[in-house]
Amino acid sequence: MPKPASAEYRSSVRKPDDFDAFWDDVLRQASAIPLEAEVIPDPLRTSEEIEVFQVFYSSIEHVRIAAWYCRPARRMERTPAVMLLPGYQMDPPIPKEWARKGYIALSVAPRGKLRSNRQFNPGYPNLLTHNIVDRHTYAYRGFYADTWRGIDFLLSRPEVEPTRLGVTGSSQGGGLTITTAAMRPEVRAAAAGAPYLCGFMDAIELTHTYPYEEINDYLRLHPESRREVEETVAYFDGINFADRIACPIIVNIGLQDNVCPPETGYALFNRIGAEDKHLYPYDGHGHDAGRARHSAIVDRFFAHHLLGREVSR
Amino acid sequence: MAETREGFHEYWRETLDALARYPACPEVDLLPLRSTAFATLYGVRLTSLGPYRLFGYLSIPAGTGPFPAIYYPPKYQSVLEIIPQGTANLIRSRYITFALAGRGQRNADTPYAAMFPGLLTEGIDREESYIFRGIVADSVRGLQFLLTRRELDTARVVVTGNDLALITAALRSGATHVVAAAALFYRTAELAPRTQAYPLEEINDYLRLFPARAEAVRRTLAYYDLRAFAPRITATTLLMAGAPGTLLDALALRPLVTALQGLVTVHDSEQSLYKDGLYTEQWMAAQCGITDVQSILPEHWRESRDRAGHPQPSA
Repeated sequence: MPKPASAEYRSSVRKPDDFDAFWDDVLRQASAIPLEAEVIPDPLRTSEEIEVFQVFYSSIEHVRIAAWYCRPARRMERTPAVMLLPGYQMDPPIPKEWARKGYIALSVAPRGKLRSNRQFNPGYPNLLTHNIVDRHTYAYRGFYADTWRGIDFLLSRPEVEPTRLGVTGSSQGGGLTITTAAMRPEVRAAAAGAPYLCGFMDAIELTHTYPYEEINDYLRLHPESRREVEETVAYFDGINFADRIACPIIVNIGLQDNVCPPETGYALFNRIGAEDKHLYPYDGHGHDAGRARHSAIVDRFFAHHLLGREVSR
Repeated sequence: MAETREGFHEYWRETLDALARYPACPEVDLLPLRSTAFATLYGVRLTSLGPYRLFGYLSIPAGTGPFPAIYYPPKYQSVLEIIPQGTANLIRSRYITFALAGRGQRNADTPYAAMFPGLLTEGIDREESYIFRGIVADSVRGLQFLLTRRELDTARVVVTGNDLALITAALRSGATHVVAAAALFYRTAELAPRTQAYPLEEINDYLRLFPARAEAVRRTLAYYDLRAFAPRITATTLLMAGAPGTLLDALALRPLVTALQGLVTVHDSEQSLYKDGLYTEQWMAAQCGITDVQSILPEHWRESRDRAGHPQPSA
């Protein structure tokens, strides 16, 4: 087996001086846009135990964002909720299994994803480098805001317990978990797997696989733009968001991850500001980041922090 | 072994005959953004049954060839990848790769845009217009196109993917090897009620809302069951089974394995994308006579790393 990545890896990521101001401005712009939420029952996906809805809401630049919303048919008056964030190329799943565990669950399709691509659709591959020379129009500016608006949607729901919100995802969903936990203090617990969007410029040296390879493709064709690319992605790098995270958080990484280099996972974890943080590195695992074993840990983590109960091992 | 549904052979012969009435009319356009010193990438447009215009990514290694090829038929997702996420880009230096978007997937989503979930039950109560009849035709058309490439070594053509990899190899000669993980069309009517996981949960959703259509669904699915295709598959096959105890583990797949006509290797998932992926890459390389597989593995899968544990790219 290959030698695992070093936990002492020194990331090249540096935070821009105006990083907080940049994102606080994005938050302000987003909050000024009415949510205009639509919650449409989906009888095809609904069963006796789980109610399923298609949700649409407005995000920054008035882009309409789709999501799946599931809730247990039998639930408390106020129920804890978990927001699920999608991988780079995956189609956001219907999160029935989270509703079966007793949570209200929202699975967001940020702009460009299926059902959220009418107004913005750079495609795959391409999303990662769409306007990458300009932080004010880079694809992930809106993409990040779309996920944060998911928290606004949950807070708008009378059946959601607003003091018990969790966020989770893997790969890009792991990266978005980091940025959401950092920017939305309403998040009370976060579980990030194989986090993508962390250490962009490190990753393109450490691995040559898609999706990060999109940046190498771009720089091969536009070598003169390297400085602008570096400047832009610094604003979007999860490592630069990490010190803002205050809620309990767990992170799992695969030490043979061929998509999101484990070195960047270590660098991210070291920067997380929360006192209650735990890293689970899985040797012998790739981009699954030990999911088969780790899912039970995630279940226990959210049950403890959101449901207020312990789940037996 | 389950009996092949009556009319199975006619159903697929008619489908292929209908496909044959439409010439592929390929357009092949250079994509400089994704081309490298070691491989050139093209966007390919093809006509399939319908008529319906498809899209694919074709990568040709630098050099004179002939080269082995990996054909990626349509996946069960909206996104079309050039090569699967996590695959070393350098794999394109040794293999021709061709990834096809079936109707409804991105880049082939006009006029029909598929939903995920949703595609699996699109028209499933009418076998003649079930969406997968067209998607299977798309997949066959993709293999036909690949086989026309002069750079190709026709003795080394790997088709890799889900059920469509096996179905395509059954319906069109030319696939010398198959790497497949059953997901959609193996004993579907029987197995769907035993899971709550998508994509098979789509069948459960559909039948909950339309219980009167259960027989029609069962009838349609019988035309797609891998057990019925297996006797036509002579390619050397690597079948990726689920971990022991899961819905599609090696035990569950045994009837399929028995029915396949070529050499078959069954790999039990180790529930590690690294271990399962490494096994697959090494199997394909060995079958295709590529002896230095280390050089085309992702950096974090290679044996060679420096003292600090950093991967040592060989490119």
